[in-house]
Amino acid sequence: MQDLLFYVFAAVALIAGFLAVANPFSRNPLASALFLAVALVAVSGLFVLLHAFFLGAVQILIYAGAVMVLFLFVIMLLDLREEQKRRARKVAAGLASALALALAALISAAALAGGGPADPPALEGGARALGRALFTDFLLPFEIVAVLLVAAMVGVVWLSRKEAA
Amino acid sequence: MNAILTMPEMAVTALALGLLVLDLWTPADRKGDLGIAAIGGLALILAGSFLFGAGAPQYAFGGMYVLDGMALFFKRLMLGVGVVALAAALEYSKRFAAGTAEYCALILLAVSGMMWAASANHWALLFVSVELMTVTFYVLVSFERTRMPSLEAGVKYLILGALASAFLVYGVALVFGGTGTLGFAGDSGPGLGTGSVLVRVGLALVLAGLGFKIGMVPCQFWAPDVYQGAPAPTAALLAAGSKAAGFALLLRVLLEAAPDWALEMRPVLMLIAGASILYGNLCAIPQRNLKRLLGYSSIAHAGYMLLGIVVLERAGAAAILFYLAGYACAVLAAFLVAALAFDPGEPEEIPALAGLHRRSPYLAAALALSMISLAGIPPLVGFFGKFLLLKGVVLAAFDSRSFGWLAGVALAGIVTSFYYYFGVVRAIYWSAPAAERPPIAVSRVAGAALGACLVGIVAAGVFPSPLLEAARLAAGALRIP
Repeated sequence: MQDLLFYVFAAVALIAGFLAVANPFSRNPLASALFLAVALVAVSGLFVLLHAFFLGAVQILIYAGAVMVLFLFVIMLLDLREEQKRRARKVAAGLASALALALAALISAAALAGGGPADPPALEGGARALGRALFTDFLLPFEIVAVLLVAAMVGVVWLSRKEAA
Repeated sequence: MNAILTMPEMAVTALALGLLVLDLWTPADRKGDLGIAAIGGLALILAGSFLFGAGAPQYAFGGMYVLDGMALFFKRLMLGVGVVALAAALEYSKRFAAGTAEYCALILLAVSGMMWAASANHWALLFVSVELMTVTFYVLVSFERTRMPSLEAGVKYLILGALASAFLVYGVALVFGGTGTLGFAGDSGPGLGTGSVLVRVGLALVLAGLGFKIGMVPCQFWAPDVYQGAPAPTAALLAAGSKAAGFALLLRVLLEAAPDWALEMRPVLMLIAGASILYGNLCAIPQRNLKRLLGYSSIAHAGYMLLGIVVLERAGAAAILFYLAGYACAVLAAFLVAALAFDPGEPEEIPALAGLHRRSPYLAAALALSMISLAGIPPLVGFFGKFLLLKGVVLAAFDSRSFGWLAGVALAGIVTSFYYYFGVVRAIYWSAPAAERPPIAVSRVAGAALGACLVGIVAAGVFPSPLLEAARLAAGALRIP
């Protein structure tokens, strides 16, 4: 059952991810954003299968929820009709697809060859376990991320400020 | 827990946050004082970092953070780079209507990210420190938001930087999947990549992600555009600081954590080094914009420094450290002049430098010295750095013919670079200006910062032994099995 669910979620994530960047039916950015939401939900399913329940829930609440809504607002506020008319250059698109395929082949070969530890440690993904890990073993990266968010916030406020007339 | 070891980084972060808070109470005409305070604070932290001795490696946060000779060397280098970049920022921010304090605070945060990177001994710390640097640079690059080239550079850096981060984090995930641990192997543990395909592919992706930071082929496309469009102090910090942080991480990952994999990948690394040298030097030839030229030349310099990695020895690592210090002095001086010698909004065209020696003999001499050092002409520091890097490759050429080819490519690149570096010198001294322009007044802070760079270029070139000794000591701390 778990294996079956894994393949379902993985397939949905891959297909939706592909459609988000290269949708043959529509070049509407809105469609891309919605497919991205589908991919994010599927990935949160993968998190749950890994027993990372809290991460799965947060993924849906924040990414598939809040961040995607923000994306949609921005797309709707900006008039992106120009973007729809634009066509990718054939050579560049071909080269990029070839590179992406090569990378995908390399990574799947590596994954199939395996070679991980024989008995991966059991994961605990509840809020309690995650919080404990964040504030003990990973305290330093956690605090640095906090600083990073401050830097990002200062930057956003600066870049989006109204020009003083 | 040895949290005291992280004092320098904490102090830089606190300085940045304090600057942002103080900004709220500072009247608009006194904002410059905040910049002076930031420079003073950072210089104090630099002086304080000499309280730490380079003894045995010390660990904090469960081995995640390491303070050894190499980390200390890089931290001092980054603090010095930060001081000069702040001085340039203070001068340059007179062009902004507002935002001096924000600009200085973001530079400080970027410096703190570089310093964390120098001490990273854990994939999680490596990733967050790289991200702290990168995200801050997104803003620093596009800081002049009313100037189109700056915004364009910011968008390019954002997209390619996000791509590089994706490579990096995917690589880390694969390495974690293959080893089950996020820490770099310690003194006793075996190096990474000794068998598992998963780990090897992961390390290759990590190399791609870090290669973006140092601007090596094939992750170099952003460098010329971003250097050209970014404000000059940002570009200086990118060239001197971000590249140093990238090399600090590369040295740690390639020589310390995964030496076997580095040995296996040696032909690829040699190819990358040669390609970076050729690409950077050949593309720099037709450039007319000073900052764009420095962008291409930074790719070539990344190639030269990779020569120190491919020999996979402590001596090579020491040569990289020496070269980075010399390169930082020269490139900071060049960008400082670029910040001062051009009018606001004027593109940094090299022909516009004509007559600079009459407008400001000091700036003209500084730019000429920095170009000569970058080219690697004897008495200056650039020559000695290139000599050390090439020496390792030439010695290795006795064992393997491919190193001979690599040395030949590097020499050809160096000779090619004379052409465009001396093109800049010629423009300064031997070409007639189109129109007479007023002399340039250099403020005391900018003049002092420029003077410090020039002293570094000349002193470390004429008396290389103290810096070389420091670099050797620092590289000695690398736990190369």
